[in-house]
Amino acid sequence: MFKKKDIQLAFVILIIAIFALILITLTKEEGATVVITVNGKVSQTFPLNENHTMIIGDESTEYNILEIKDGFVSMTDANCPDKLCVKHNSIHFSHESIVCLPHKVVVEIQGGEESEVDMISN
Amino acid sequence: MKSKKVVLYGLLIALAFILSYIESIIPIPVPIPGIKIGLANLVVITALYLMGPKQAFVLSMIRIVLVGFTFGNLSTMLFSFAGGLLSWSLMVLARKIKGLSITGVSILGGVGHNIGQILVAMFVVNSSSLIYYLPFLIISGLVAGTVIGMVGAIITIRLKKYVKE
Amino acid sequence: MRKKIVAMVLISIMLISVNACSIKSNNRYSASFLELFDTVTTIVGYAENKEQFTEYSQMIYEYLDEYNRLFDIYNEYDGINNMKTINDYAGIEPVKVDPIIIDFLLYSKEMYTLTDGKVNIAFGAVLSEWHDHRTEGLNNPDIATLPDMNTLQNNAKHTDIEQLIINEEASTVFLKDPEMSLDVGAIAKGYAVEKVVQKIKDAGFENGTISVGGNVRSFGMKFDSDGNMVPWSIGIQNPDQASLETTLHLLNFSEDSLVTSGIYERYYTVEGKQYHHIIDPETLMPADYYAAISIVCLDSGLADALSTAIFNIPYEKGIALIESLDGVEALWVFKDEKEKYSSGFLSFVK
Repeated sequence: MFKKKDIQLAFVILIIAIFALILITLTKEEGATVVITVNGKVSQTFPLNENHTMIIGDESTEYNILEIKDGFVSMTDANCPDKLCVKHNSIHFSHESIVCLPHKVVVEIQGGEESEVDMISN
Repeated sequence: MKSKKVVLYGLLIALAFILSYIESIIPIPVPIPGIKIGLANLVVITALYLMGPKQAFVLSMIRIVLVGFTFGNLSTMLFSFAGGLLSWSLMVLARKIKGLSITGVSILGGVGHNIGQILVAMFVVNSSSLIYYLPFLIISGLVAGTVIGMVGAIITIRLKKYVKE
Repeated sequence: MRKKIVAMVLISIMLISVNACSIKSNNRYSASFLELFDTVTTIVGYAENKEQFTEYSQMIYEYLDEYNRLFDIYNEYDGINNMKTINDYAGIEPVKVDPIIIDFLLYSKEMYTLTDGKVNIAFGAVLSEWHDHRTEGLNNPDIATLPDMNTLQNNAKHTDIEQLIINEEASTVFLKDPEMSLDVGAIAKGYAVEKVVQKIKDAGFENGTISVGGNVRSFGMKFDSDGNMVPWSIGIQNPDQASLETTLHLLNFSEDSLVTSGIYERYYTVEGKQYHHIIDPETLMPADYYAAISIVCLDSGLADALSTAIFNIPYEKGIALIESLDGVEALWVFKDEKEKYSSGFLSFVK
């Protein structure tokens, strides 16, 4: 019923599982991503720890310019009328978001450092 | 011999049904509906040792389709297919390794079954975060495989006597 | 041999349970949508699983949408008489409306009385003038203009809430003055949030926080990382949006509402100066007393109404009003960043 090789196999698998667990747990912490949603659909994602500047939309019609720098995300320009998204402070915590309502753009940080704030009143 | 084969098949499929029913009652802390422990693997591995790889494969497929239509839905069948395929392949290969008893083969079958399920689930649900459950499922596959292997050994020995007569 | 098996099984069980514990449902979910009340709605809360939370979110969306349509002063909806309908028939004839509107208007009249007219849903004639100039000014910043003071003063003559005739039995509303219009923006969101939260609690959603455009209403509590129930942490936006300090204060909330009014929320610029959207009924210009006001109390509608009213009156009058009300606290943030609070405000602060 039980042979030496069986037990060896079992131990090997056990070690692989533990190894996988450690690996996944480690990579999970650093996995903060910036998720850009336009009109309800996810359009792009970027890792929070890489600097990036990008245009969401089209320069000739509706656009927002997003900057990811040193772990912070902010909207540096947009051609929406109220530019509330540009005025918004930069975000870096998990679940924080910057919204451009006229352009239906939502930029949200998923994963990463949790903020102690559940909701902000403004 | 043929009628005994038919009886054997019938017996094993009935067993598969019972095990699948038990499986469906046991709650698993993984939020994917349709993921299974893999108890029904007992039937596949018994067929493998009693009759051979081809028969084990056929039995596995029959089991998946029938059980899927009875207890599950399209997505549970998809997971079962993936799990069953990977499990069967690993077990057939493992059987050829000298020194590995039925328990060892069953362990690989159990682990393969769960890995197959998670991979397909990640594809279907389109979420890479499911990989977080992999370590847990590997270990539960290991445990389930061990238990099934030991039970399977007992059943195989008994049934072999029946087949030989 | 036996020992090895036992050891293996034990280790496996241990590992499985450790795994299972960490995987154990982190059943906190969040959702947001952009379509209602012209603003962002965010829901955070606890449910048994994702499906149930999605159900709750869907219900909240539908409940809020009902109020959103009824309280809309800019758009019409097929088969519904809403605020815009009432405004369109000003001076013409009474409009039959859903009891929800009747209840809301009666509530708004109470708020008018409570605040000595400082929050007035009949202020539409003045507010629409500002709204038009602000919209123009945002679309074409180079030619942004202020409304003409004479026009504002004339329009202000058509803001008498006594001309709002509510017939509860017939469920009709009539604006006697044809030049009058209702603008419910000061109370509508808070009122709707309060009603919707009552409904969703009845439906079984016990622990959550909803924000509709910054009107925050918490109910129940949240779970910390050890699984203990602790109050929700609600932040008050720092009016200085350039600051790295996003929040001024963090409040402990359980069954509470927080509404903040600020000059930084909606404004447009004319010749280098910023003009925000809360218009003082005395001056007919954007209220000039503070940078921001926050109101804390149980009822979200009351908080919304008071946040406008308090914003429009000097501190001495404001603190008197707040202290006279049971269960209401407030924070005043002045333009020089100084702060004042009502006597019970600090008990909420972490």
